[in-house]
Amino acid sequence: MLYDIKLVIRYAYEAPVAGGRHLMRVMPRAICGGQRLIAGSLAIGPRPSDRTDRTDFFGNALTMVAFRDGHLDLAVEMLARVEVAAVEEELDVSPSLPHLRDEIAAALVLTAAAPHHFLGPSPRIPSDAMIADHARAAVAGAETVRIAVERLGQAIHRDFTYDGKATKVDTTPRQAFDLKRGVCQDFSHIMICGLRALGIPAGYVSGFLRTEPPKGRPRLEGADAMHAWVRAWGGQEAGWIAYDPTNRIWAGTDHIVVAHGRDYGDCAPVIGVLRTFGGHETSQSVDVIPVGDPA
Amino acid sequence: MAAGAEQAIPDGAALIAGYRALPGVPDEMVDATGAIRPVWRPFLAALSRMNRAQIDKRFARADQYLRDAGVYYRVYGDATSKDRDWPLSHIPVLIDGAEWRALETGLIQRAELLEAILSDLYGPARLVAEGFLPPGLVAASPEYLRPLVGIKPAGGHHLHFVSFEVGRGPDGGWWVLGDRTQAPSGAGFALENRVATARAFSDIYGEMHVHRLAGFFRAFRDALQHLGELGEGRVAILTPGPLNETYFEHAYIARYLGFVLLQGDDLTVVDGQAMVRTVAGLRPISVLWRRMDAAFADPLELNQDSRIGTPGLVDALRAGRLAMVNALGSGLIETRAFLAFLPALSRRLLGEPLILSSIATWWCGGETERKHVTDHLDRMMIGPALSTRLPFDDTQATVLGASLRASARAAATAWIGKEAGRLVGQEAVTLSTTPAWVNGQLVPRPLSLRVFAARTPQGWTILPGGFARIGRSEDPTAITMQRGGTAADVWVVSDAPVEQTSLLPDVGLGFTRATPVSLPSRAADNLFWLGRYIERAEGLLRILRAYHGRLAETDDPDMPLLAHIRVYLDDLGIDADEPIPQSLVRNVDGAIRSAAQIRDRFSVDGWLALTDLGKVVGQFRARVTEGDDATRAVTVLLRKIAGFAGLVHENMYRFTGWRFLAIGRGIERGLHMSRLLAHLTGPKAPDGALDMMLEIGDSVMTHRRRYSVSTNDLTVLDLLALDALNPRSILYQLDEIRRETALLPLDKSGPPPSGLMREVMRIENGLAIRTPEALTSRRLTRLARDLERLADHFARTYMG
Repeated sequence: MLYDIKLVIRYAYEAPVAGGRHLMRVMPRAICGGQRLIAGSLAIGPRPSDRTDRTDFFGNALTMVAFRDGHLDLAVEMLARVEVAAVEEELDVSPSLPHLRDEIAAALVLTAAAPHHFLGPSPRIPSDAMIADHARAAVAGAETVRIAVERLGQAIHRDFTYDGKATKVDTTPRQAFDLKRGVCQDFSHIMICGLRALGIPAGYVSGFLRTEPPKGRPRLEGADAMHAWVRAWGGQEAGWIAYDPTNRIWAGTDHIVVAHGRDYGDCAPVIGVLRTFGGHETSQSVDVIPVGDPA
Repeated sequence: MAAGAEQAIPDGAALIAGYRALPGVPDEMVDATGAIRPVWRPFLAALSRMNRAQIDKRFARADQYLRDAGVYYRVYGDATSKDRDWPLSHIPVLIDGAEWRALETGLIQRAELLEAILSDLYGPARLVAEGFLPPGLVAASPEYLRPLVGIKPAGGHHLHFVSFEVGRGPDGGWWVLGDRTQAPSGAGFALENRVATARAFSDIYGEMHVHRLAGFFRAFRDALQHLGELGEGRVAILTPGPLNETYFEHAYIARYLGFVLLQGDDLTVVDGQAMVRTVAGLRPISVLWRRMDAAFADPLELNQDSRIGTPGLVDALRAGRLAMVNALGSGLIETRAFLAFLPALSRRLLGEPLILSSIATWWCGGETERKHVTDHLDRMMIGPALSTRLPFDDTQATVLGASLRASARAAATAWIGKEAGRLVGQEAVTLSTTPAWVNGQLVPRPLSLRVFAARTPQGWTILPGGFARIGRSEDPTAITMQRGGTAADVWVVSDAPVEQTSLLPDVGLGFTRATPVSLPSRAADNLFWLGRYIERAEGLLRILRAYHGRLAETDDPDMPLLAHIRVYLDDLGIDADEPIPQSLVRNVDGAIRSAAQIRDRFSVDGWLALTDLGKVVGQFRARVTEGDDATRAVTVLLRKIAGFAGLVHENMYRFTGWRFLAIGRGIERGLHMSRLLAHLTGPKAPDGALDMMLEIGDSVMTHRRRYSVSTNDLTVLDLLALDALNPRSILYQLDEIRRETALLPLDKSGPPPSGLMREVMRIENGLAIRTPEALTSRRLTRLARDLERLADHFARTYMG
């Protein structure tokens, strides 16, 4: 599938902001054999006094911008054309949970794709006994890692209600778990927390969803803003597999990946440190249009 | 000397008559047969020639030094933390020079090894690929900082200043209990312990060949400056701030070595260059000796919740224009589990066996190791693999296998099996003992030693001495100072005379002066506010004294003058019914808080005078009653504040920092005078207001001498507003503000005189041309407003 993607994020500040410094992860990344960035541009207004573009530890495209002069608003506009490879109906080649432990130990690497980064607690996903219990109950009897991932994803979709007003960007997995409500970020955090408790390396994926569904399919939840889902390591053979608990589906050609990380903190579209008083308002719009598609 | 020492032994024997090493535990002073080790003999001989009173007097001398020097440490309680007097164990730990040299060789090898491991883990990670280190152990560590992977440190090294916690094991050899690679503390305290102990035993210290400590610090200071020459040449110490447990030491080391002490907020990063916000604008910095845990250093790329870091600092490292001592991420190898892998890593990376053993450690992530731990539970301390604390400092998280009841062993084994890689087992150690002075006699107490190593262009150098922690009881877990342990000096004693060094450069070698960093804006802000708070407190005290003095002498508390003053105080939000008002406490606390931020620029005496003032204000507030009692209390406080002001005035180096303090003080004094004059002169002022005004303005005598007429509005206004020779007058303040402002770095917003200077001159000239008749209450109130705006103008120009 070929997509044209447009993301616009705007900030309006109550008071002029000077000396702001931001990290942005908004450009779709390359994934070997899965996703290709054909062209992309990132425009920022006002013009930053300092800007560098590079990739971060996890291989995500990262832009640092700094502003010396005061400004009252900030606009980020990302345009990209991305090709997402069609996923074949996948054969389950993942091992059983006990065998996964051996495969993890045998992976003697610390590269970005190594499972080890995704096994322990991370800054925004501390381990949690309640979430672990929920995960264990959900996957009881699962023969393979892939089945366990799918069952947990389904259970989260079943047990939690999508509610854009219940949680905030800094809601902890446990708070969302107790509320039984939240958005893609919360569901992904809870699922990652549960998978790690089961010994399955799991990480956070930020990205986009196709705005309008193909004919005859329902519109996906979370298509009007940046979305989040989960990836899990299914052993040496199966590698990383990605599941979207918000929509109860395996991530496929409707999912465009921007960033991989341990949790939201590694993938946040904009991290900013401002020297300011007063609050700000944010708006975000996303369009993901298949190229050549009449819709 | 040796002969004399031996003759003295019989007396010495009396001194240590009751001294018995614990069975099976080596002792620093006596050997297995109970004989005194040679290195201790001269010291004990000298000690035994003293009587109890003499010894107490010597110890008191050391304690007095520590109090005078303001040495304290912070104890964390449940809800509050507080500063405590420094717990010095007065008997130094004596170590033979030859033995020390062997220890040094082992520690230097270890420092090289730790550097090589870090360089690999933040680079190609070959040690992981080759199976020498489990990737899961590295990845799980909160000190494995992913944004730093692939960044080559400026200057080429991760480690520049490390310390090792060592202890003597039952076999008599030294063991390393833990490596400190993040931001080791204690070197400054080691220096203070030395100065204090040398005070107590100045004669003995002078006669024995004890290695001096200053050479080590000089070598490291020069090494940091050398490192700085790779860039812009400036070196600073980065501290988390006054709330940190070892802030005293940060300020102390900064003063001792002559480096600027910075907080995260003092720094900003522009185009990959770290800059200090100073009163002269942004100034580049090339070396930061960091006393802050790495994760907090950059809220953008590291811990996003950090409020003490500098956004973009990692970018400056990436650009290679900032050397960090030690590199961010160096804390990775502090964790207990790493000790288990060092022997194999030494052979792999250095091609030689590890000279110094670590305390025996097994990482429970490996099956064989886990089995060994569970099979030998009795001999194990089991704790978190990623903990950076010593097992005996961390008794809450560490399980002592020997203390488990038989019924609990199966549960413990299951727990170890389940937690696996999150745990390590370490052999339960008994540390050697050293003599401590308890109730007039020497008793054996367990000892652990922190030894410091610094990288110089010629290689690693070891501080010949260190920081000894002495247990409170025979139980080795009672070593930590948070739990009542004490600290002692360490004397490395040579057979031959040792080199005498101090931080002063050698005569004849010339000297290089470190490129000074301009005054950081935050320091300027704190000095400015210190001046303002102190002056506010003083102004308020003067009003209170005049008020309560009159209150004590009248039987009519509602007389017009007193009511008039109550209105004035009320306008300032001060309740005149409180003899020592809350507002005074706030101002003194504000002064202490400001001073606490700039301890490195501030004399110890000044600090002690200020904290003493705070203490007494608190005591008075609780018990002083109005009238006569209050008058006397306020007089005491005024004397204390004058003492503080005198110390500052007499001792502070007249540079930029002093100017901000003086300007803050001048503005506040001008404000106080204009407001009071507006209230106490003019047709509405009640009887007695002018005399009171002169009293508050400390100008009663001058007035009597200068004016032949009786006190009236015009003479008072002339003396307290317009007389440029009266240090209490408004014009005097403006004159001083102008003179100090002229010497400040220029405000660049226009051609000189700067906008700020023009403003100072406008206010000053506007006042100077007035006659006393023209100084109406309205004009004085306007003047006060001008001064308030002037303060804001200073803040905007220099402290933004």
